[in-house]
Amino acid sequence: MIILRNIFKSFGEKHVHQGVNLEVRDRETLVILGKSGGGKSVLLKMIIGLLQPDSGSITVDGFEVTTMKYRELQKLRLKFGFLFQGAALFDSMTVGENIELALRRHSEYKESDISERVQYALELVKLHNVEHLMPSSISGGMKKRVGLARAIALTPKYMLYDEPTTGLDVETADGINLLMNELKTTLGVTSIVVTHDIHSAFVIGDRFAIFENGRFILTGTKEELRSSADPEVRKYIESEIQI
Amino acid sequence: MSKSYSGKSFSFHPFSKIGKTTTRFFEFLGKYLSITWWMIRNLRNAKEYSRNITQQMVMIGNNSIPIVIFVSTFVGMVTAVQSSYQLYDWIPRTVVGALVTKSVLLELTPLLIALVLAGKVGATITAELGSMRVTEQIDALEALAFDPISFLITPRVLAGIFMFPILIIFGDLVAILGGMFGASAVAGIPVEAFISGMKSSFETWDAVFGIIKAVVFGYIITSISCYLGFIVEGGSEGVARATMNTVVLTCLTVVVMDFILASVLL
Ligand SMILES: Nc1ncnc2c1ncn2[C@@H]1O[C@H](COP(=O)(O)OP(=O)(O)OP(=O)(O)O)[C@@H](O)[C@H]1O
Ligand SMILES: [Mg+2]
Repeated sequence: MIILRNIFKSFGEKHVHQGVNLEVRDRETLVILGKSGGGKSVLLKMIIGLLQPDSGSITVDGFEVTTMKYRELQKLRLKFGFLFQGAALFDSMTVGENIELALRRHSEYKESDISERVQYALELVKLHNVEHLMPSSISGGMKKRVGLARAIALTPKYMLYDEPTTGLDVETADGINLLMNELKTTLGVTSIVVTHDIHSAFVIGDRFAIFENGRFILTGTKEELRSSADPEVRKYIESEIQI
Repeated sequence: MSKSYSGKSFSFHPFSKIGKTTTRFFEFLGKYLSITWWMIRNLRNAKEYSRNITQQMVMIGNNSIPIVIFVSTFVGMVTAVQSSYQLYDWIPRTVVGALVTKSVLLELTPLLIALVLAGKVGATITAELGSMRVTEQIDALEALAFDPISFLITPRVLAGIFMFPILIIFGDLVAILGGMFGASAVAGIPVEAFISGMKSSFETWDAVFGIIKAVVFGYIITSISCYLGFIVEGGSEGVARATMNTVVLTCLTVVVMDFILASVLL
């Protein structure tokens, strides 16, 4: 369970978060929808302590993140898989090395099992024979999927997806949606998904949170979203109907 | 209300700019020192990243050999030519060998190679870490529960401390050979005369002093360039700015430290 209480965060004069409250229940997929530049990526980073809020509290499984010592923070981060918006692959390493890196350091896998595990992670994201390629030589969509493989390699309890399907063709995007649902049903992964892809949102989401002007203006199920009269919320619903 | 008013009037104060710059300087220095402290405290983790250290030793060491040979050769030659030009006719020509050896070991090779590598090694490191920062690769390392300072900065600084002395000893040898060549080819001083001058003046301490400087310069260049790359903000423009700052700041620090070390140790 992840709970955010009254989060405030500014960068200089830019007040990005102004009282964010959010609860993510175990084994659910919560989708965050919101305008570009609103502060969604920053929010995800604060959950694993990559950025500090100016005030407010963030708890994961009952432990306060904002005051954690470094060692505890590292333990916490191992519970999380993070898919970055731009994939953030290490560009001095091959695709295989990108996925191996954390396995080597944080898992008990033997050398032979590691390559098997890399294969398995790549298969999950429907990639074959790419281990030896450098990130600079693969397409944006492939990078996303490698980033996803890297994030799930250590079988995290929580997944944070920053725009997992943006920039992918429909077929690959559907594949990723399927995979996200599979991770939830088979491994019981709890997920937060930031997305602009409203179609994908409704395929994977259990609950939805609309981020607007530094806070969540509505959090609820698809039905609750549909019955809302708020014009900001209606925008999202109507854009789905158009599809 | 009163707070914003006083804030505004303060910013028109002629000293506010100096004040702000001073505050930023100390903030900058404080962050640099805290990263250094972190690096030292976690030094025992270094062996876990031994692969990174060897990689960086190749990057800093092997890849710099051609430029070190080139610069040292010319440094040696020009020192020989100039010292023979500056001498009165009645001074024995063996002095040229002595002068070249002394100035090359004590000053010219360490300083000039450090300045060249401040550009080559320093700029590479800042550009590398800076682009890792702006493409969220450093965040990704942290998200995977790695310590990015031990993973990225420590190996580069250790490689610098280790490889700079080697490069400079190598540069010393090449520069003396260059001097020998310059003396005989341009100034007409026989090789035997050059060598006897060199032997008569050689002191081990001169070479040791050069090596101490090399260690210090290696540390300065790698730690500053790592730090400036690590804290980059503002996309690829920010990376470009940081890279330029690295070259300027490392060169300035190197010449200042050169003076300080000479004053203290000689
Ligand atoms: N490290 C930082 N330093 C200064 N400002 C930052 C930093 N990180 C983010 N910001 C600012 O915070 C705001 C929110 O950024 P964020 O990346 O979270 O937006 P977002 O909702 O993810 O947008 P997008 O949908 O475009 O990815 C932006 O205006 C950005 O410029
Ligand atoms: Mg974002």
